[in-house]
Amino acid sequence: MFSSPLLDIETKLNADIGEFANWKMPMKYTSYQDEHLLVRRSVAFFDISHMGRLKVSGNQNELELLVSKEISKNKPNSIIGPTAFLNDKGGFEDDVMIYKVSENEFLIVTNAINREKITNWIGKNSGLNVEDLTFKYGMLAIQGRNVWNFIEKAEVKPLEFILNTKFLGENVFLLSRSGWTGEDGLEVWADANTLTSIIQKLLKLGIKPAGLIARDSLRQEMGYVLYGEDIDSNITPVEARYWVFSLDKDFIGKEKIMEHIENGVNRIRLGFKLKKDDRLLPRKDYKIKSPLGSRDVGYVTSSTFSPYLNRVIGMGYIKPEYAYIGYELAIDIRGKQVKAKISDFPLINTR
Amino acid sequence: MSVVIDGKYLILKDRHYTETDEWILINGNIATVGITDYAQKKLKDIVGIELPQVGREVIIGEQVAVVESVKAAADIFSPLSGSVLEVNKELQSSPETINKDPYGRGWIFKLKIKDEKEVSKLLNFEQYIISIKQREGI
Repeated sequence: MFSSPLLDIETKLNADIGEFANWKMPMKYTSYQDEHLLVRRSVAFFDISHMGRLKVSGNQNELELLVSKEISKNKPNSIIGPTAFLNDKGGFEDDVMIYKVSENEFLIVTNAINREKITNWIGKNSGLNVEDLTFKYGMLAIQGRNVWNFIEKAEVKPLEFILNTKFLGENVFLLSRSGWTGEDGLEVWADANTLTSIIQKLLKLGIKPAGLIARDSLRQEMGYVLYGEDIDSNITPVEARYWVFSLDKDFIGKEKIMEHIENGVNRIRLGFKLKKDDRLLPRKDYKIKSPLGSRDVGYVTSSTFSPYLNRVIGMGYIKPEYAYIGYELAIDIRGKQVKAKISDFPLINTR
Repeated sequence: MSVVIDGKYLILKDRHYTETDEWILINGNIATVGITDYAQKKLKDIVGIELPQVGREVIIGEQVAVVESVKAAADIFSPLSGSVLEVNKELQSSPETINKDPYGRGWIFKLKIKDEKEVSKLLNFEQYIISIKQREGI
């Protein structure tokens, strides 16, 4: 089991420490609903040190063949993502963010559970050199629509990053502007001591911490996937409706993607919303049924209670012939047929 | 009167407990049932509840309710045999009350006790503390 390098200060902040992807991480501080709404209405910071951080160097053309979106056309200091490493069946090895440092150097943020797999996979499929920076730096995300009311507007533009810069007076390795919550914000990579100082400064500025449970509900409202739940090595981006590829280039898995686009797919990912009074969470693999419950037409991959909509939401895979937006299907929740309205992403309208 | 285990989990002395983390407060032949502070902390944020029907006859150990949290759906078992006298309807719209006040406003249902001898099968607070310590390895 790994531990966030920031657990000391987080414990002092009353974090409820739990396990995620073999990492000890802060799950929440108060209630996930309060932390979630803080991000939607104001701003909060998250420890995301569990995510894999790899430095990849070598010939850009080699990386281009491994990754499903074009990277050659991007300028240095820009982020390409989300994109993916796919297997030869078009399934996800991982969905990643790629930071282009130069023509021959990239930083890649992987899902925590896939860090070692992707390190090995790149090694097996290319002559690129991979250095694991995960334990050298921690990573904080500051997210929320009012972020610039609390922090001086960063020089960094959306989907861009700066290396070796200052943030709140501290020397940090990387400052980027992206996120996984649907709100504006920043990410910072730095060593644990620096991040601890930054956390103290954020608190003084009035920015509160949030945990990984809120991060999960925030991403579900936006319809963003979580590896291992909503996507895995058997699911292609076409099935997931996750536009992480470019057909203007060659990459591993492209053939299968072309086939799926040409012939269609047997399942596609959509969201759903339960009625307000149905406070039951459809768990992973619960069956989605036809409206009268006679046929299995899909399965659930994620669900949560949306603090923003005040109802249960989720996502799953549905046979295309039943995948009409606005259709009312049923979900079998421990023998009970609960109505679920099929909805497209994002599941909330944030503006 | 209360005890806090490992700086985290509050246990009250005035009630009985089960190995499945229900608490039971007995007043005459009426038992009020909820889940313990330990259980709500393990479940994390509670977002829903399925309550039993009032009037339902239950036997000791029978599944009577479900607590939905972001982490899991947890079955609530009846700690005693009897009939369901009352349920805490407020939990339907604000199930997070169980997180905020598990021993108070977060009570789940009241039971009319059928067989008072069954009460001796419940854990007292000292036994429940041992049970938690064993499970936590502390």
